[in-house]
Amino acid sequence: MDETLLLLIVLSLFLGCGCWLLFVWGVKKGEFNDIERPKHRMLDDD
Amino acid sequence: MANGHCFHCAAAIPRNTDITLESADGKISFCCDGCLGAYLIITGSGLEEYYRRREIKQAGAPPKNSPSFSSAALMRHAYELDGKSAIDINIGGIHCASCVWLNENIISRLPGVEDVRVNYATNRARVLFDAEIINPAQIFSRISELGYVPRPYDRKSAVESAEKEKKELLLRFGTAIFLGMQLMAYSFALYAGYFQGISDEIKFYLQLFSLLVTTPVVFYSGAPFLHGAWRSLINKTPDMDILIATGALSSYIYSIYATIKGGEVYYETAAMIVTLILVGRILENSAKRRAASGVEQLLELAENGRAVRIRDGVREEVETAELKEGDCIVISAGERFPVDGMIAEGCTDVDESLATGEPLPAHKETGDCVISGSMNLTGTIKLSCTRPREKSFVARIARLIEEAQNRRAPIQKIADRTAAYFVPLVLFLGVITFIWHMSHGAFFDSALMTALAVIVIACPCALGLATPTAILAASGGAAKNGIIFKGGDILERLAAINLVVLDKTGTITEGKPSVISVHPADRIDSSRLVSITASIESASRHPLAMAVCKYAESKNIRYDMAEQATTVPGGGVAGIIGKEQVAAGSASYLKSLGITGEIPEIASSPGSMAVYVSYMGKYAGAFLFRDKLRHDASILTGYFESLGIKTVLLSGDRQENAESASAAAGISEAIGGYSPSDKVSYIEDMQKKGFKVLMIGDGINDAPALAAADTGCAVAGGTDIAVETSDMLIAGHDLEKITLAHRMAKKTMKIIRQNLCWAFLYNMTGIPLAMFGALTPVYAAAAMSLSSICVVGNSLRLLVSPRSGTKRFNTATLHDQGWENG
Repeated sequence: MDETLLLLIVLSLFLGCGCWLLFVWGVKKGEFNDIERPKHRMLDDD
Repeated sequence: MANGHCFHCAAAIPRNTDITLESADGKISFCCDGCLGAYLIITGSGLEEYYRRREIKQAGAPPKNSPSFSSAALMRHAYELDGKSAIDINIGGIHCASCVWLNENIISRLPGVEDVRVNYATNRARVLFDAEIINPAQIFSRISELGYVPRPYDRKSAVESAEKEKKELLLRFGTAIFLGMQLMAYSFALYAGYFQGISDEIKFYLQLFSLLVTTPVVFYSGAPFLHGAWRSLINKTPDMDILIATGALSSYIYSIYATIKGGEVYYETAAMIVTLILVGRILENSAKRRAASGVEQLLELAENGRAVRIRDGVREEVETAELKEGDCIVISAGERFPVDGMIAEGCTDVDESLATGEPLPAHKETGDCVISGSMNLTGTIKLSCTRPREKSFVARIARLIEEAQNRRAPIQKIADRTAAYFVPLVLFLGVITFIWHMSHGAFFDSALMTALAVIVIACPCALGLATPTAILAASGGAAKNGIIFKGGDILERLAAINLVVLDKTGTITEGKPSVISVHPADRIDSSRLVSITASIESASRHPLAMAVCKYAESKNIRYDMAEQATTVPGGGVAGIIGKEQVAAGSASYLKSLGITGEIPEIASSPGSMAVYVSYMGKYAGAFLFRDKLRHDASILTGYFESLGIKTVLLSGDRQENAESASAAAGISEAIGGYSPSDKVSYIEDMQKKGFKVLMIGDGINDAPALAAADTGCAVAGGTDIAVETSDMLIAGHDLEKITLAHRMAKKTMKIIRQNLCWAFLYNMTGIPLAMFGALTPVYAAAAMSLSSICVVGNSLRLLVSPRSGTKRFNTATLHDQGWENG
């Protein structure tokens, strides 16, 4: 019982860390520099 | 007959222009060949879509006579990126997402261009290109052919570091959010365990994991506050940071202690304080980042890049930065003067609105001085430099702005003032508690835990939330009404003002002259006079000429195109209508044409100008013009005067003009003939006398004053530089909104005070409980969430729009709606 709980907690922590790393990568790459333009870009045909 | 509007730029088409094209949409007309060229480029690239999707319908930037770009000079701004050449370009004239779309598509279709990204927020493009196929000059010419103004952009260290700071803040915030979510899962398990029972082992593990995820939140995400708190501790100036640091650290340390010794933990409190305060910081930062770019833009105005210098009879092209005193340069019509100078040869009309705010061009002849940044309108002249670029007028204004921005005393924010009293008090109570429990036979660790509990309960989120939430809600509510605050402290500054300084031209007046009366001579009737004058004036772009045409159109008086209309700079305009000679201009101009018949002196009030007209060689009548007062100017002054706040008009115009305008608007004092630096020193003098100054202006000449004042308010439609150096912006040039902004600021301060009172009330009930060691986690958790909810809910009241924008303001409705002083 206790082991299962611990395992799940650690697993969730790893999952969370994965998302966090994705976010860090996004910030470093400049994905958040311009948050206005992409929503219009989506509507462009090409 | 009016020709309608240009298909490309939507400007009114001048009368003598007939540029049309048969297209799929029928016959379309343009105002100039530049616009036709832009249209052909856009449709030639298959981007007609632009005309359908663009949002603006009013006049855009009509294409200038394209300047030539030097490839060698531009290459210096290019740099290597991923093995390709890249250049950053500031594109002036971008209004909407469609402009961004158009620029991206047009540039990317040039051969040799690899990639283009235009940032909508900064209007800055980064172009990746192959330097062997295309040079930057070709890219720049293409942008300028479309009617946008490209300028090379060098990444400056200040901007770089600001962007880096923004990224760092975002990382800290993101980290806090992710770890906070993990933490909440453990905390809920612990809450449940508290009520339902939990084995000590699992409780310990959960607390350990909580500690693991909280530590980075406090020490990485919260690092700015910890640094700030440490700094203010060293400087002995307690501020908000200390409050946050105390709250976060004390609950963190207490929880570690409880984890080891067994007990209830408060990790989530520490994490929540840090996260919520970070949100406020991020929002505030994004508003403030733009302030610095105003100065940058100003310096770019005078930066023509290159100028034609004549030395020993030889013309050569030089960088404007290399120009020295005594150099002679050639400036053609439509160019801005890159340096201050004296006209050595030729005469022209100069638009000096940059320096004086006055809309009428000034006539300059040989020997007259011109200032950098102003626009040469009509003639080509030779200019002798009197000051090099770094000492020129524009550079001095930029320095004035920077100095004023640096000198402005930071206000002691209400939250900081609170912290100054509160933090020492809480720490003192903590120490008292510890000593009292020790002296009454408690063990060391239980006494310490009680003391820490006092500090934890005394610093709940509510205190930290009191100011940011109120300011966020107020900014949101204000934005809906067209009022943009550039930062939270502006509301505090605005609420405290007790002196209002106004600019005249363009701020409380329309900024362009209009006809106020027509005085026909005896032998001609009024409408005939208007008709013939409008006919010859329609050839001119002079503001007075445009005012006559507008007047004729408003009175439905028909007029035709004049033949052979010629403009004499500084004099007037002459032409032929139906074989008869017509001339309009100053009295001396008509005399110089040999007009017979006496020209009467039109009794003119201060601030008005007269234009005289002759027909068939005889005097025919006169027009009187004035820069009209805005209809809402008196509402604005009436509001402030009714609150006992003095209003002062500072103008670059003559004293009598300033006085007549201030009398009409109900302003109590008027001072004319002030230069931009005079305005700054006036404001600073008043600040020394203890006044908190609100400055309202629109021009570049107001920019230093806007930066120096406690609150600088720019009106939309003003120059970009004024807008960016100011603290707040009123959209739509609705002066009445300034009264609304002031009321909102007052209301916000009232809400903030209420919030702080609420937070205190909860603390005051919690602290005694904690001091006697009677505080159980349930009470603590309840008190914390309840006070937070109260504070946030109270702040949200500011989101409610106080009134619809159309209703007239009067003092009675003001009080009815609860927008009176807090």
